[in-house]
Amino acid sequence: MVLPGSITEIVGRLSSGRTSLLAACLGEVTGRGAVAALVDADSALDPASVARAGVDLARLLWVRCGGRRDVALRAADLLVRCPGFALVGLDLGETACPLSPAVAFRLRFAVERTAAALVVVGRRRVTGPAASLVVETVRDRLEWAGPGPVPTRLGHVRAHVRVLRARAARAPGAAPLGFCA
Amino acid sequence: MSRFACVWVDCFAAAAAERCEPALRAGPLAVLGPAAPAARVLDANAAAREAGVQPGMTETEARARCPALAVRRRVEEHAASGRRALLEAAASVSPRVEDWAPGVVHVDAAGLARLFGDPAAVGRRLLGRAHAVGFAARVALADSRTAARLVAARARGAVTVVPPGRAREALADAPLAVLGLDADLAATLARWGVTTLGELAALPRAGLGTRLGPAGLRAHDLALGRDLDPFVPWTPPPFWEEAQGLDWELDSLPALAAVLEAVLGRLCARLAAARLATDALEVALELASGAHHALSVALAMPMGEPGPMLTLAALALEARPPAAPVTRVAVSARPLVARAGQGGLWQPPAPPRRALAAVLARLAALAGPDDVGSPRVEDSHRPDAHALVPFTLPQDAPEAPGERAPRRPSPAAAEGALRLVLRRVRPVRRVDVETDGERPVRVGGRRVVTCAGPWRGSGEWWDTGVWARDEWDAALGDDGTLCRLAHDRRTGEWYLDGVYD
Repeated sequence: MVLPGSITEIVGRLSSGRTSLLAACLGEVTGRGAVAALVDADSALDPASVARAGVDLARLLWVRCGGRRDVALRAADLLVRCPGFALVGLDLGETACPLSPAVAFRLRFAVERTAAALVVVGRRRVTGPAASLVVETVRDRLEWAGPGPVPTRLGHVRAHVRVLRARAARAPGAAPLGFCA
Repeated sequence: MSRFACVWVDCFAAAAAERCEPALRAGPLAVLGPAAPAARVLDANAAAREAGVQPGMTETEARARCPALAVRRRVEEHAASGRRALLEAAASVSPRVEDWAPGVVHVDAAGLARLFGDPAAVGRRLLGRAHAVGFAARVALADSRTAARLVAARARGAVTVVPPGRAREALADAPLAVLGLDADLAATLARWGVTTLGELAALPRAGLGTRLGPAGLRAHDLALGRDLDPFVPWTPPPFWEEAQGLDWELDSLPALAAVLEAVLGRLCARLAAARLATDALEVALELASGAHHALSVALAMPMGEPGPMLTLAALALEARPPAAPVTRVAVSARPLVARAGQGGLWQPPAPPRRALAAVLARLAALAGPDDVGSPRVEDSHRPDAHALVPFTLPQDAPEAPGERAPRRPSPAAAEGALRLVLRRVRPVRRVDVETDGERPVRVGGRRVVTCAGPWRGSGEWWDTGVWARDEWDAALGDDGTLCRLAHDRRTGEWYLDGVYD
């Protein structure tokens, strides 16, 4: 899904699976031995759960920004200019504000030079036309599990991704997703 | 057969000042002593000496003889750094060097010809190393240190080789002044008509001892080129230091960076001359308030280029600026041998270490040094037990495609499902929860649609950090936010632990 040298946005509401999708991308990249970075605007990463999602934590650079959006953007700008990072995640959380076109295209030109994949995660789209691919995660239903009628554990989260923007025409319109708790 | 070389730098105090301020090499220069009661010339370079400037003159007299004279106060750090640099340059050619005097280094050259060629090649190599650290030197090779030193002191060429067994002939024409004898002895020898080392060496030793005593015998030995003192090898210090004393106070980081650039340039030249690198810098600043400001700059990899070092040191200073104007800058480095490495054939490209070090330093200055690193899950059941460790490039290469063992798919992967990830709420937020029995039914005024739990945990009851809590997974309200609630069983309070996303 994520292409090197381009910006990919994952948008969606809370609990729709957008962070889990980012973790899956990080897991895929670090699993093949590459180095990835995550700029965490809200310092919300849970290392234990992303490790269970397959992320090799030793190959992940985590930048905690403590709610400072400007710091997060500047950190992402630094990281996408450093060659060698296969994927740079920018988690803007719930209060993502649209970037100015100048900032968005500055990021895009930077990733085109270094061939890094920049994945921006947030509630809404922020990079506008600078993004090569924008997908939205939409939750369909929750599946609870347990031996009796009263659920004792969360089973699955069924969701799907919908492509909102794709520069490549081959991108499918929608695809199902399943998350295991 | 023993062979020694002597590396000689003329007018060393002036040469050390020129090394720290290369623009001074263009004209006459005098190094002055303390201002009180009257500043006197301690040393002068060749151009100044040609114009008639001599050590011991007052500054006024020196300026009268040479109007274009540039003057600098003596800075102890310049001379000390230069002296160490010259020793290190010599030590990069031979493991046995002796610190004889400022600007005079004896080198045990026995066996070096097998490494570098003829004795002249050894001399040229010493000359090149001295030049690399900023000194224009002369080198002489002879059978003894004394002979090599006396020949180097008055040699015309850059490299002089005295053939084995010919030291006495080589010294015969040298004036007595090169021995630096005390005034009474020199006056006595002058009365006898002895003006050269050859004439002194020709005097009968027994008669010389009877008339002049031990001082006369010592002078006779020196005239013959004999070594009187044992060789005292110099041991390199564990840290190499380069310092710059300032005539004025620096109160801005850009100005300080310019001085650091010069200091690092000289330090790197010393490292390069010895074919060494460093992986850690210590920057020590003396402040106008009398205090000291010290910081460590960890380099991601052994390096010898001043550019990346300057960037990292400037970023470290930006993160921890000095509290007062700076009056002295010193940088010390731990020298080590850099070893070349090669990435794995199946290893994806990783960030270049130098670029990564600069980016990590910039990120630390931007987000804070405690907020940049690699996450590590702690070996504990305590909720959110993790640490942030310094990020380093993993050394273990991934397996080659042919060697990769087939992995047993997890149940989630077998279903084509991804793992659900929790977004932590930091700091943990206390929430008001209404319960039905022990099950939460309303969280912060929002209805709980479904919940599962409790997942009970406790730990560290044997220590002060005891914890005990129940965790619930709950789908909230109208938008179906899926969150994790925690009920602290010790205090009875509820917390929003995180949101599944």
